[in-house]
Amino acid sequence: MWNEDQRALRAAITELGDVLSKDHVAREGTGEFAFEAWDRIRDTGLLGLPFGTEWSGLGQDLLTTMYVLEGLGYSCRDSGLNFSTSTHIVSVGVPLQRFGSRTLKKRHLPKICDGSAIGAHAITEPDGGSDIMSMRTSAEPDGEKFVLHGSKTFITNAPIADLFVVYARTGKRGSPAAITAFLVERDTPGLSIGNPMSKMGLRTSPLSELFLDNCRVPRSNVIGSVGAGFLILDHVMKWEILCSFIINVGEMQHRLERCIDYARTRVQFGQTIGSYQSVSNKIVEMKIGVETSQKWLYDTAEKLQRHENVTNDIAISKLVTSENNVSSALTAVQIFGGYGYTTEYGLEKELRNSVAGTIYSGTSDIQRQRIASMIGL
Amino acid sequence: MKRCNLSAEVEIKRFIIANFARDVTPDELGSDLNLLDSGVVDSLGLLRLIAWVGDTYHIPVNDVNVSTDDFSSIDAIRSFIEESRSGVLQNDRSS
Repeated sequence: MWNEDQRALRAAITELGDVLSKDHVAREGTGEFAFEAWDRIRDTGLLGLPFGTEWSGLGQDLLTTMYVLEGLGYSCRDSGLNFSTSTHIVSVGVPLQRFGSRTLKKRHLPKICDGSAIGAHAITEPDGGSDIMSMRTSAEPDGEKFVLHGSKTFITNAPIADLFVVYARTGKRGSPAAITAFLVERDTPGLSIGNPMSKMGLRTSPLSELFLDNCRVPRSNVIGSVGAGFLILDHVMKWEILCSFIINVGEMQHRLERCIDYARTRVQFGQTIGSYQSVSNKIVEMKIGVETSQKWLYDTAEKLQRHENVTNDIAISKLVTSENNVSSALTAVQIFGGYGYTTEYGLEKELRNSVAGTIYSGTSDIQRQRIASMIGL
Repeated sequence: MKRCNLSAEVEIKRFIIANFARDVTPDELGSDLNLLDSGVVDSLGLLRLIAWVGDTYHIPVNDVNVSTDDFSSIDAIRSFIEESRSGVLQNDRSS
């Protein structure tokens, strides 16, 4: 299915697996972002995969981008780094590429492509996670500027990011036409970043709050147009789900192979544990989970590339993959037993990491709600 | 053309009433009512509406830079359909 060029792009990442994974267990303890590994990722060109060559990107399509990211998930054991990489690509690059003015693209896309500027997007608020349309962060027009005021939370990459896409209300609260997306640079007066937040998993992917206190942003930093924010966010979320969860598929595949190897060698009561159906059945479920998730994500991406409506497919893909990932990670801990429970083996970390996938990009409950709405309930 | 416009308007009203405003009659639903700001169509509803327009009128809504303005009222939706079918929209909004 994949051509030589696509395989070469993926190999450029998978060959770095050991380097990118270095000290991943130790850094988990300190919550330290792997800047050295980030620089190695930058060198591969991965960060510019889906962006136009005129902006120093590699001009690859969505499917190719996903294929390479799947390779990242398979080879790199630092899920936090993987997640930050995916967030960097989709948060700023994707909306700029599709909706940004030529001026914004020229100024910022090259830096996103080479990773010299790290991207993040600010959507969720303390009082509005799933209910993003109730956001309170406002943007008031003032001549050639907009004045932003409010706060955002749970922003991946915020402690290390240079560029933010901030979604703020410019119209009647609750209306889908009331949100606008703004590009805001880190050093803009009135923008401040909170301290890194401690969390259950993805600890090497930095996360914090963001505060806007009369933050004045040029009108020219509006992405798309005033009031277009909701549809821009919908587009970005499709990319976020496809890119971050195909990474999870790579991680699930690696985990499956570990479990198979272990089940074939670990002997209890005179035979390999893999020969017991209660163990082999669990591993079969892991295999089904990988294949099902992979198929949903790539099929959905193909439909999106054909410009077909994928609102339902995206929700199902996200639901299936995130829940398969949790199930797979829990199974792996069980199969490795006591060793799986220790930090040294890295499997308990994967279980903690996997839970995040059922929350970010729209919780499992929200995905079910979305599907229900789309089928007329 | 006038007959097509009326037909599209009727179909759009029918879809909106059936899915978002069951207690409203077609005569009560103004063609210039802001569907989004008035709360008739919420965010998920907007995605459903866009999908329905794309499927019903064979418009590649995921290809064109669709704006919330295009779906703000029945009149706006009707104009969007007309412009899309005449090819005006694709040429104007392609980047």
